[in-house]
Amino acid sequence: MAKKINLEMTSVENREMRLGTIIAWDGAASDLVKESDYEGRKEKKKGNDIPREKQGGCCGNGSKACRLCELKTPLNQQTMCANAIVECQIGNLTDCILIQHSPIGCAADNAWFNLAFKMGLTRRHKPVQNLKIFCTNLLEKDMVFGASDKLRQAIRDAKERFAPKAIFISMACATAIIGEDIDSIADEMEPEVGVPVIPLHCEGFRSKHWSTGFDISQHGVAQKIVKRNPKKQKDLINIVALWGTDYFTDILKPLGLRVNYMIDCANYDELAQASEAVATSTFCHTLGSYMATVLEQHFGVPQIDAPQPYGFAGTDAWLRAIAKIVGKEKETEEYIKSEHERVMPKILELREKFKGVKGFVMTGSAYAHGLISVLRELGIEVDGSVVFHHDPVYDGAAENQNSLKHLVDNYGDIPHYTVSKTQAYQLPQVFRRVKTDFVIIRHQGLAPEAAKLGIPALAMGDEHIPVGYDGMIRTGEILLDILARKRFNQVLQRHVELPYTKWWQSQDDPFILSKEPEILDKALSEKLKKKGA
Amino acid sequence: MAKELRQIAIYGKGGIGKSTTTQNLTAGLVERGNKVMVVGCDPKADSTRLLLGGLAQRTVLDTLRENGEDIELEDILKEGYGGTRCVESGGPEPGVGCAGRGIITSIGLLERLGAYTDDLDYVFYDVLGDVVCGGFAMPIREGKAKEIYIVASGEMMALYAANNISKGIARYAKQGGVRLGGIICNSRNVDRERELVDAFAKELGTQLIHFVPRDNEVQRAEIRKKTVIDHKPDAHQADEYRELARKIEENTQFVIPKPLTQERLEEILLEYGLFDSIKENDYHI
Repeated sequence: MAKKINLEMTSVENREMRLGTIIAWDGAASDLVKESDYEGRKEKKKGNDIPREKQGGCCGNGSKACRLCELKTPLNQQTMCANAIVECQIGNLTDCILIQHSPIGCAADNAWFNLAFKMGLTRRHKPVQNLKIFCTNLLEKDMVFGASDKLRQAIRDAKERFAPKAIFISMACATAIIGEDIDSIADEMEPEVGVPVIPLHCEGFRSKHWSTGFDISQHGVAQKIVKRNPKKQKDLINIVALWGTDYFTDILKPLGLRVNYMIDCANYDELAQASEAVATSTFCHTLGSYMATVLEQHFGVPQIDAPQPYGFAGTDAWLRAIAKIVGKEKETEEYIKSEHERVMPKILELREKFKGVKGFVMTGSAYAHGLISVLRELGIEVDGSVVFHHDPVYDGAAENQNSLKHLVDNYGDIPHYTVSKTQAYQLPQVFRRVKTDFVIIRHQGLAPEAAKLGIPALAMGDEHIPVGYDGMIRTGEILLDILARKRFNQVLQRHVELPYTKWWQSQDDPFILSKEPEILDKALSEKLKKKGA
Repeated sequence: MAKELRQIAIYGKGGIGKSTTTQNLTAGLVERGNKVMVVGCDPKADSTRLLLGGLAQRTVLDTLRENGEDIELEDILKEGYGGTRCVESGGPEPGVGCAGRGIITSIGLLERLGAYTDDLDYVFYDVLGDVVCGGFAMPIREGKAKEIYIVASGEMMALYAANNISKGIARYAKQGGVRLGGIICNSRNVDRERELVDAFAKELGTQLIHFVPRDNEVQRAEIRKKTVIDHKPDAHQADEYRELARKIEENTQFVIPKPLTQERLEEILLEYGLFDSIKENDYHI
């Protein structure tokens, strides 16, 4: 088993330190599989020493550990942070409160997260409500004198007005720099308000990738909410998810399982019963690996050691792994067989329609691996993909969770596989070198950017659409609609002027600024010269 | 586990001898069979020089700057005298960045890398003289040091600083478990120093846990980059540090200090500092 996660720690070890996460890389997916060295990292996670010369990759000056080599980008155009992720995770619980201990700017994206929360609740057939996030609205004086009293007051007010089952406190950059002691305040206030008060160390500068915010949220839930003395519910399975439609129940009901979704849209009791489940899985290892590993190591709830449930190969293997845990191997084999028979005619029909069609996927890391398998099951060629980060290993370091390898082994290589953190300025280059008829994008702000380049873009708001056998059909049918927009996008492209200079648009390599940073100075001085003349 | 880990923070005015005292005390505790980790929390990074035999340590923050995120414990933790584990937090260049945040970052990193192992008996945090921002209070937060010792002397500014530090401790003690274990007097040979510091300690509600006399043996050992116990185990001063170690090991008096008002502090100084001609027994407080 992998090295035990320390639940006693107030703050989570960053993803880049725990997993070796990178945010910029460009090449063939098969090369990234090799460079990631999942197997080697798995050994390291088990506590076995790997000699430096055997690690490969980029080794720091004098350090024992070597990391996956990464491109350095001189600018970051748009992105998120761990604090924002905590808003859309912990802030999306139905009966708990999140207090952002921060200046008001950190709360700016709550309006958008409120929309996502309401859509999520609708999809899960739960009563629609607004998210409950407070902000301590820190000002100049608070920065100088400290703002602990404001936080105490916010905790009291939250308790009085909403009677939440738990109160979370999130750290922001400003409060982390001045050293606000949210741990002590949480301990101090807990007896007074009589519900768990949970500090979350999610200041934005802590980690280079926002996904550390998932781990921080899950850490807080596991520390204080998940039941210590579980009464096993033999038909309950945890699915670490976001806001997607409840397709997992359709898939797992035939195995006699009920789904316990966490964290988004869940309530306190649903989170608490996570330790009573028979197993934990997820629609995306990027999201679910920390929680699944904590539940396995600290609460004895095994995680499903399988590829993600996408396409035939992934879904088959995933169901078999679950069947093994619940002891329903025979029934599951029959179920798999009948499901194949049921969906196959439709899949064949779709394959016919997608002949010669090329697609592109731009989403979170492990999720993209699943989505590409679905496209290839539908006969769609995928020559390129952008993922927003890459984890060379996951927390559990489970045998069968190497999702990128699973993709390459079962569905072939992706020649242009790019790791890049929602950098819209790279899109002209990304889409020039790879021909595609459409793009699937998870992070909605990017979909219009692709649309403006003339590419039909699907903003995949409901991330559960491609899951399971029916997921292939659902995805295929939506894509037919998206492809019908081709002409609209072409017209749009003709009328849109991109904000980039001709010089940048004439570049071929999206990472040219990383590889030859001096060209930026050259381009700038030429521009200035022209201006002077 | 035989006994509980004791985490101790050492505070005091800049230049008072916190680092020297901490390291010599550490040597005393090591002799008594303890496993000790010393965490230097001063950007100058000179808290472990005597234990390591020089400034051999790459600081946590320098390592972080140069290695990026790929840090292993052995990159920042060096073994020194008698198996002591030595860490220097380090900090930014003077005038830039945020040294306080540096301490938060360093201690957080140590925790995450698993530096706090079960075999440790003591962890010392040798902290910069002035607790100027939240970062410098990191070592006494919940789950960290529960004991504090203040190094002081009979000099006015040292006591003034000690009183100020006590204000901070009192504030933190109200919220959590941190307590003042005593004042260590690092003698400067000022008039009636022992009595003055003793009276000051009592007024604070604590104790003068040990009076470390001034002795050039300390200086001689320092030049050789060693603690006194390491350099000259049979010196009288070595016994003083052994005595300090014993008293700290056996200490049971942990209090929330009652800081003095400025007026009362100056009164005490007047009482002891100026009446140097009066014999000890002639005057009682």
